[in-house]
Amino acid sequence: MAESPRSGPRSRQLLLRIRRGLFASPLDTGITMVLAVLCGGGLWSFLHWVFLQADWAVVVENIRLYIHGRLPVDQVWRSWSWLGLLGTLCLVTLMPAGMLPRPVLRLLPLLWILILPIGLLLLASGLGLEPVKSRFWGGLQLSLLLTLGTILMALPLGILLALARRSSLPLLRWLTTGYIEITRGMPLIAVLFFGQLMIPLFLPEGWTLNRVLRAVLSLGFFVAAYMAEDVRGGLQAIPRTQLEAARSLGLSPLQTIILVELPQALRTALPSLANQCVASLQSTSLLAYLGLIELLGISRSILGNPDYLGRHLEVYIWLALLYWLVCILMTSLARRVERSLNVTGHH
Amino acid sequence: MASGIAPSPQPTSLAVRSQGLDKIFPNGFQALSKVDLVVGKGEVVVIMGPSGSGKSTLIRTFNGLETIQGGHLEVLGHHLDADNNQKVVSKIRRHVGMVFQQFNLFPHLSILENVTLAPIWVQQRDRQAVKERAMALLDHVGIREQAHKYPSQLSGGQQQRVAIARALALSPQLMLFDEPTSALDPEKVKEVLETIRALAAEGMTMVVVTHEVGFAREVADRVVFMDEGMIVEEASPQTFFTDPREERSQLFLSRIL
Repeated sequence: MAESPRSGPRSRQLLLRIRRGLFASPLDTGITMVLAVLCGGGLWSFLHWVFLQADWAVVVENIRLYIHGRLPVDQVWRSWSWLGLLGTLCLVTLMPAGMLPRPVLRLLPLLWILILPIGLLLLASGLGLEPVKSRFWGGLQLSLLLTLGTILMALPLGILLALARRSSLPLLRWLTTGYIEITRGMPLIAVLFFGQLMIPLFLPEGWTLNRVLRAVLSLGFFVAAYMAEDVRGGLQAIPRTQLEAARSLGLSPLQTIILVELPQALRTALPSLANQCVASLQSTSLLAYLGLIELLGISRSILGNPDYLGRHLEVYIWLALLYWLVCILMTSLARRVERSLNVTGHH
Repeated sequence: MASGIAPSPQPTSLAVRSQGLDKIFPNGFQALSKVDLVVGKGEVVVIMGPSGSGKSTLIRTFNGLETIQGGHLEVLGHHLDADNNQKVVSKIRRHVGMVFQQFNLFPHLSILENVTLAPIWVQQRDRQAVKERAMALLDHVGIREQAHKYPSQLSGGQQQRVAIARALALSPQLMLFDEPTSALDPEKVKEVLETIRALAAEGMTMVVVTHEVGFAREVADRVVFMDEGMIVEEASPQTFFTDPREERSQLFLSRIL
């Protein structure tokens, strides 16, 4: 009841603000109108297409393929259980910190590391299950597996590279600097082709690595070079006096790195590292050109089916939506980590 | 004084002995030249002098934060010379605490973790015992209530007192203070000086670089005046502040008093 007398002036205030913001002068009004027509028109024709013209059968009928590729039907439960585990882990991580008991919070990083081997075991062969050849791995599940594998490999490697790059041993420093500069100078697609063809040559006789692992290795080595530079930036932001304090307390160089430098450097580097993680997800789509049937690959093969001739727009919009959703998930996870670090230490 | 400079029959009664100490920075600047200084156990030595006179550099050589290019240094029975043997340096650091002008607390650790870090990782002592002792030390410097806060949530004076507790947690036999109050708001200086004064009263061996004349007069056993990398004058505070011998000391005192 108390609302009604106030609502009058308030809605007038809103009107006033709109007028001041959008229609202050004839020029403003003109710009506003033009933009409104352009945006409105674009949105109208897009929605018109989405709801009236598009034929979404190509998405609906193949939803299983998008999710887990060409997994044999009786093995599909393995894929779903891994995706379920991953989804649960995301939800638990995104829960407000206060709602989780401390032991669970402590376990979270470990669980995130374990989710990858669990996925591989479930998919490949472990646990006494029937092995599934890697050429049957596919869809969103393969994209996620590739992304997770890349991040879990690139992050520690990137940290090691960053540390080696400022080492006092000249040879180590030159080698890592060379590695980082050369890797950053190459296009990813070349690195991926190189990896698929070259890695088998470097393996001991009798060893084989499936295509997926070779892809993760190449992606991991590539992304690590970029992450190394982000971590190096974080290391450089630490005042020299922090190192003096650590040294005067008697901490060894290794203890100083682990207990004093890295925790501060990683916090500074976190936004750019999260950026690299999202970029890794997008990069996995290049593997479609190497014959992997991850999200883009499976979509291309669906489009190759004559039943769905000319349905490119539907498939690519659906694909964009899927990638975007995973990105949103990744950025909110990164924000969550950032916030949990900020709670425990305002700079 | 004479007994300190003469070769001592019991080297263990000395905390620091420097002989002909030279410090030359890589850019060629000679920060210390032929510095001779003796600090006895239980003694409080205050080092004063204009900025750039080498006072901070001198005490930073005592725990190996600065390498030395010539001369000889003996800290708590460990001998160090121009080869700056890292093993000796780390032995020295286990028994020497240092407090910096800018506090240098670790911003990513809580107050309690700042204090317990070195005892747990360097001395590898039992966590629970370390924690209890850290709380006692924080209580001692009046920060017990803030133990679970982070450095940025504390005032400068409180941070510096935490830094003192952090250095004390290693049970050092020698404490080095590098201008501990220079970065503080004037009204916070007193609380930090009180803490250092209490430490002196307990018999801690200390070398303090400071501009606080009142503190030096009251707490120091000896005042060392440095200029241009050399020790110009050593005297009791009484003598130094009322009747300085050297012209440069007189000039310095006339500017700050």
